[in-house]
Amino acid sequence: MSDQQTTREELLASALAEFLDQQAREEGPSIATFLKKYPELAEDLRPALEAATEIDQATAPGDPIAAPVRQASVPMADALSGLRVLGEIGSGGMGRVLLAEDDRLERKVAIKTLHPRYAGNSELRERFMREARAMAAINHPNIIRIYNLGPEHEQPHFVMEYVEGAPLTEAARALSNEQKAELMHKVLLAVAFLHEHQIIHRDLKPGNILVGHDLAPKLLDFGLALETRTPETRLTQAGQIVGTPDYLSPEQVRAETPLDERSDIFSLGIIFYELLTGELPFQAQNVAEQVREICEQDPRLPRRVNASVPTELQNICLKALEKDPAHRYSSAREMAADIERFLAGEPVMAMPASYSRMMAGKIEQHLHELQGWKNDGILNESEHEAIRKGYRRLVEREDAWIMETRRLSLQQVTLYLGGWLLVVGAALLVLVRYPALHGITAVLLAGAAAAVTAGIGLRLWRGQQHRLAIAFLLAFCLLLPVTLLVGMGQYGLFAAATRGREDLELFSKLPDFHRTSNAQLWWAILFSLPVYYWLRRFTGSTVFSLVLAVFAALWSPVWLLRMGLLEWLDKDPGQPYFYLIPWAIVFLAAGLIVEYLRRTDDSRYIYPLFVLFAYVSLTGLATFHEPYANWLKSVAPWTRGQQEYLFLINAVLYLALQKFFEIPSSSQLRAVAKAFRFVIPGHVLVSLLLLGLAATDYWHDLPGAPERKFEARLFEILLPIAAAAFVFGSIPKQMKNFFASGLLFLAVGIVRLQQDLFKERALWPTCLLAVGLALMLAASRYSPLKVGLARWWRHA
Amino acid sequence: MQPTTTFDLLGRARQGADDALSLLFERYRRRLAVLIRYKLGPGWRGKLDADDLVQETLLRAYRDLPQFTYRSPGSFMHWLSAIADHAITDAVRYAGRARRQGNEVSFRSESNPEGPEPVDLLTPSRVLAQEERLQALLSKLDALPEHYREALLLAKIEGLTTEEIATRLGKPRQAVSLLVFRALQRLRELVEREKLSGKRT
Repeated sequence: MSDQQTTREELLASALAEFLDQQAREEGPSIATFLKKYPELAEDLRPALEAATEIDQATAPGDPIAAPVRQASVPMADALSGLRVLGEIGSGGMGRVLLAEDDRLERKVAIKTLHPRYAGNSELRERFMREARAMAAINHPNIIRIYNLGPEHEQPHFVMEYVEGAPLTEAARALSNEQKAELMHKVLLAVAFLHEHQIIHRDLKPGNILVGHDLAPKLLDFGLALETRTPETRLTQAGQIVGTPDYLSPEQVRAETPLDERSDIFSLGIIFYELLTGELPFQAQNVAEQVREICEQDPRLPRRVNASVPTELQNICLKALEKDPAHRYSSAREMAADIERFLAGEPVMAMPASYSRMMAGKIEQHLHELQGWKNDGILNESEHEAIRKGYRRLVEREDAWIMETRRLSLQQVTLYLGGWLLVVGAALLVLVRYPALHGITAVLLAGAAAAVTAGIGLRLWRGQQHRLAIAFLLAFCLLLPVTLLVGMGQYGLFAAATRGREDLELFSKLPDFHRTSNAQLWWAILFSLPVYYWLRRFTGSTVFSLVLAVFAALWSPVWLLRMGLLEWLDKDPGQPYFYLIPWAIVFLAAGLIVEYLRRTDDSRYIYPLFVLFAYVSLTGLATFHEPYANWLKSVAPWTRGQQEYLFLINAVLYLALQKFFEIPSSSQLRAVAKAFRFVIPGHVLVSLLLLGLAATDYWHDLPGAPERKFEARLFEILLPIAAAAFVFGSIPKQMKNFFASGLLFLAVGIVRLQQDLFKERALWPTCLLAVGLALMLAASRYSPLKVGLARWWRHA
Repeated sequence: MQPTTTFDLLGRARQGADDALSLLFERYRRRLAVLIRYKLGPGWRGKLDADDLVQETLLRAYRDLPQFTYRSPGSFMHWLSAIADHAITDAVRYAGRARRQGNEVSFRSESNPEGPEPVDLLTPSRVLAQEERLQALLSKLDALPEHYREALLLAKIEGLTTEEIATRLGKPRQAVSLLVFRALQRLRELVEREKLSGKRT
């Protein structure tokens, strides 16, 4: 009994303590709302709360909102500027806002007055007038209008539009997310208008934005507004925090100067956050903590607070709330445009960096756990690798957008279609000579296209619109060599033919087009490469590494053209492939060097080109290079110089290459090894099949020759054996294509055996059925069988 | 237009908005008066004028305002309380001697146009003496046992959170909550008793 009483008293005491602490923090809950939290304690708690409030009332400065002493000491004027004053709407730092009636126009107006006390203070008076002038210069439906400035002989005041409405966040409480976005859009355009008139508001908060019944917001109170035009006339000194800290930007609380538009963007981000979630992103217990949170802490994701917030709006909000001004929207208009995109159902541009920060942190943790799981044997090697790869893709999502173009939106398609038409149009300037466009005109036209794409691309990049910027810069990358070619073509630079022979020129084969020399192609690419390298350095985007690698690869056929490619094609078509081998080695070396320099994002675009050159050169040599076939014939006459043996040699080379590239611990080189491994079964099995068919034909030409019969039978048996070997060879490296191609060629081999060796033998299919069934049964009793076999082996 | 917080007022006062400064002081004046009265203790209460000390404290606060850093809503009152301690110490030291001459700061006048405005135009500096409600509160606080009064002064007048009181008194927070709860109950009882006796007479 007494225990229970104590417990109840403790509960009461702790509830009271909570109430008092809230009061101490000036959070000021009303007794009624507080008691709702503890209905079961209400009866006993109420007297204590009332007693506490009584102390407050006895020591309170009268009416808590307005200062009663002030009102009593400063009588309200009956009329100002000839307008009948009806009463006071509110009082602020420097004076009051009065409601007045304009009898002649029959409308209500608001009058902002400067306290008469300050009338003699020339500095304050100047500041007051500056606010009036700043407002007078602005004429926007969503910004409060100023009607006139009070006459000299009256108390300082100005007359402005009277707005009825509720503060933004209150007015928006019952709205849908779309309506909130629309409201925010209007606010943003109003702020953009201010910014375009060189005014930074600096004190944007829901209380300064009133929303009328028609859901039209009005921006009021320019008390802190700062004209960017005249930084020396700032109203406060550096180091002073003005306004409530809730809506301040990091640079404001750090008292950094000069502030720019992006400080307002941050405040708008907080307002938007509050609008969407009903909560403030940073709400600390005290100001020091608040300042720290504003400067350092990422806000809780809006969708965590209110799950109905659309992801797009969350992204927009978070982008505005970036700590670094450079990562925010660079203008209110840009943020408005993004909201407009959301309202139009288009994907928004915002991809706040806080996501990637958050993901990078989380992913680091997960990868650590994954490593542990792998060590514990929960995950096997390939699963581990697959999940890691998935995570890496998540981190590289920015690049992936360009590479994969996963989401084809109308905007994106239009963007890249435009870029492509630019390039094709410019290419026409190279290929065709237009009488109307000759000399400098064509050069200027192509040059202008390149300069415009580069200029817009770089500007967008600086404005943080990376995706659009990359599209423009990619278009520029293609336009650059084309433009160089137009210039060289028009001015006849590097026009000399290869070795002085017109027939070695690529364009000699294309008589319909304007001639462009091999040398011009060569120089155009050479001049472009450093630009791509610079773009890679400037943007940090690996897309340009890809561009650089691809153009370096395109350069190689141009080299060959200048070495006389067209002549070789007539005389010895295999020779060009021979000259591609050095290129493969160059790309391999480049990849190794770049990877050694820890630029793995770049090297991953270089290795695939090495693999490509290796494939092309080895395959080309085997197919077209006659000296190679002749060499084989002289070394091993029994091959009769058949190409397929050369392909088998290639397969052995690939096998060696894949073994070699497996040795280093680089995951990129392992991918190279895998690429070589991948083509081995195709080479081997197709070659064996073709050799077998040829050997059979060879034998049928002379049925009596025993060595021909032996050769035909040998290949007949080798094919299914090799196929079966690949089926089982798929196990160690989990090569699915080994398995699939092995099964396919095993079937082909079985059919070929049926056609010749086991012709009309009923035992053959019966045997296959029996072996198939036996293998399946063996697999189903795999473990006991394995143990039994092992035991038998030991005894034997 | 909206209730202004201490933080707001401080910010504006530092920009030089004198009306914000007077609003700010107005907000804390009565609490400061109550606090100083009890800081003086019964021994000095008759010899020193608490209202003068309030005024002295606010003057010093005005002078030192640039040095003040805002930490939490309660920190301003805490700071005033510390200044009051100094003011009282000095007053006690100078008690009986001639009034100190040449204060660094004095209120605005013809000769000193830069000084702060007097805090209240209507009832200058006569808080404790003139306000009925405040007098009623003081009489009840006087009637409370010492440890209850101390708890209420800390919680409601100095405006500390229970956590801060716990640190100050070196007691667990739960004990402090209970102490404040019982003190308020007792205060309430005093009020009820007063009402009853009021009806009777």
